[in-house]
Amino acid sequence: MELLKENWIFAEVDLNKVNPITYQLITKMNQISNLPVTVVLIEGASESLEDDIKEYGPDKIITIKNDQLSQGNDLEMTNALDTLIEKTGRPNSFVFAATVVGRSLAPRLQARLRTGLTADCLDLHFEDDDTLVQTKPSYGDNIMCEIVVPNHRPQMATVRSNVFEAKKFNNPMTKVINITNLKVISDQQLTIASKALPQKSAKSINEASRIVAIGRGDKTEENLINAKRLADKMHAVIGVTRPLTDLEEFDINDQIGQSGQSVSPEILVNLGISGAVQYTAGISNAKTIVSANTDKDAPIFKYSDYYFVGNAEEFSKALEKALQ
Amino acid sequence: MKIVVGIKQVPETTNVKINEKTKNIDRRGISGVINQYDRHALEAAFEIKAKTGAEVIVMTMGPDDFVVSLQEALALGADSAVLLSDRAFAGADTLATGYVLSEAIQKIGDVDLVILGQQSVDADTGQMGPIVAEFLGISQVTYASKIDVDNESLHIKRYLETVEQDITAKLPVLLTVTDQANEPKYVNVVEIAKSFEKPVTTWHASDLNLDDDRVGQAGSPSVVRSISSPEAVVKDNHKLAENPQDAADELVKILKEKNILVEDK
Repeated sequence: MELLKENWIFAEVDLNKVNPITYQLITKMNQISNLPVTVVLIEGASESLEDDIKEYGPDKIITIKNDQLSQGNDLEMTNALDTLIEKTGRPNSFVFAATVVGRSLAPRLQARLRTGLTADCLDLHFEDDDTLVQTKPSYGDNIMCEIVVPNHRPQMATVRSNVFEAKKFNNPMTKVINITNLKVISDQQLTIASKALPQKSAKSINEASRIVAIGRGDKTEENLINAKRLADKMHAVIGVTRPLTDLEEFDINDQIGQSGQSVSPEILVNLGISGAVQYTAGISNAKTIVSANTDKDAPIFKYSDYYFVGNAEEFSKALEKALQ
Repeated sequence: MKIVVGIKQVPETTNVKINEKTKNIDRRGISGVINQYDRHALEAAFEIKAKTGAEVIVMTMGPDDFVVSLQEALALGADSAVLLSDRAFAGADTLATGYVLSEAIQKIGDVDLVILGQQSVDADTGQMGPIVAEFLGISQVTYASKIDVDNESLHIKRYLETVEQDITAKLPVLLTVTDQANEPKYVNVVEIAKSFEKPVTTWHASDLNLDDDRVGQAGSPSVVRSISSPEAVVKDNHKLAENPQDAADELVKILKEKNILVEDK
């Protein structure tokens, strides 16, 4: 298999918009790569998202224009990228965003190319020009691993959002290569309809500096009202554990944890949350953690600066009063 | 319909440390449980089984004591279980593991639907589903948040960051499911008793049609060069007063002293 001395980035496009993580990846790759940095963009025939990507100054943009693929599924996308790589040769590395899109497509391509892929990297650097050293967390961020793929190419990785900063960079050398006739093997098994999710106007929990989080133990309406009153008093945003997303008013954007959001507030108050791994994986960057739970052995207490053993609702009311 | 659910046994806690001598993760004294996302995968299969009468086969790869998790899956409602266990499988990365799983699924034969959890809580890769789908040569829908079944197709809701997808998938297909997909049920005592009569099969490397170069460490392109524990932030674990109001007053006093909760924010 012919090798291509380039490092590649997959441009994530969500409904005709480039996901900003793509720009973060370009800036990082430009900083660490001695080889040319190439962005692979798959877009509709009438789109020109390469103009947006150019502002971040990669050396090359390969644009596959194809209406069928712009909303394609993982198998079709894998077919397309595989066909492209057959033409160009295997790049030295190929990085994706660690989003739902990237974490679905990258491993499928990994299996097609039979190479190594490291998921959800927090850092990347090169050794001896070629070797991509990938730093990845395991065990809910309790362990960090350094992973390399010595004998296979491309070295693949998905990279977590917002770890690297995107900076615009004027690169007069950026070359755009348009591919309009890539042969695509389509997949008739899936029919996919996509629509944009309504943008929430409220402040998101990712950015909140104060959060009151409520768990399953606090699911009754009265407890909810209490928690909201405390949140108002504290000028805090409400976060929830997974079971509360069953309620109409909360969704994955309000959910803290591995399958929801990672938060980094100045203060986090946990009401009736026991502290399952899936939850605590999302709170490791919270500065001060306060927890109230009836179970004196609740795992959440280990993660807490201050804890109260007892009824979370009573504690919530008392705290509200203490803040008068 | 024949459904295979792939599960993983993971440490009960992710609060693990590195053994200074061996430089490996110290799992001593930590018991194993079914990966939480895999409970949702099992529940998704049971819900489809309830509607269609599908057969549900649960599968895992690991040492012989992982049979505990298979037994639990049988008690939850799976019809039979397969354990893939062989010293040759040790040291496998996601690619080599996915290869063995896909060969085992092919050996079962005529599988219409493969369901996995979105990721494991220990390794966190989420790669197994797409790798197995690719090696089986079937379509995939990952991170399914809602699954309905009718006749020969599935209706799935899937969320990207800013996009909602409605997907109709014809069988065969592989799904990975999020913890939004359903509410896993608990084991009941009657089912535990019945589960011991359900078949558990162990397949070793020699039972599968495997290419030796693609198995275990030899078949793994990824090399873990080093592992480390990031400096854990030390938490005070300060227990507040027993009376709620005393506790709240105590907390507010401390927070104000530390300049954490200043009112005018």
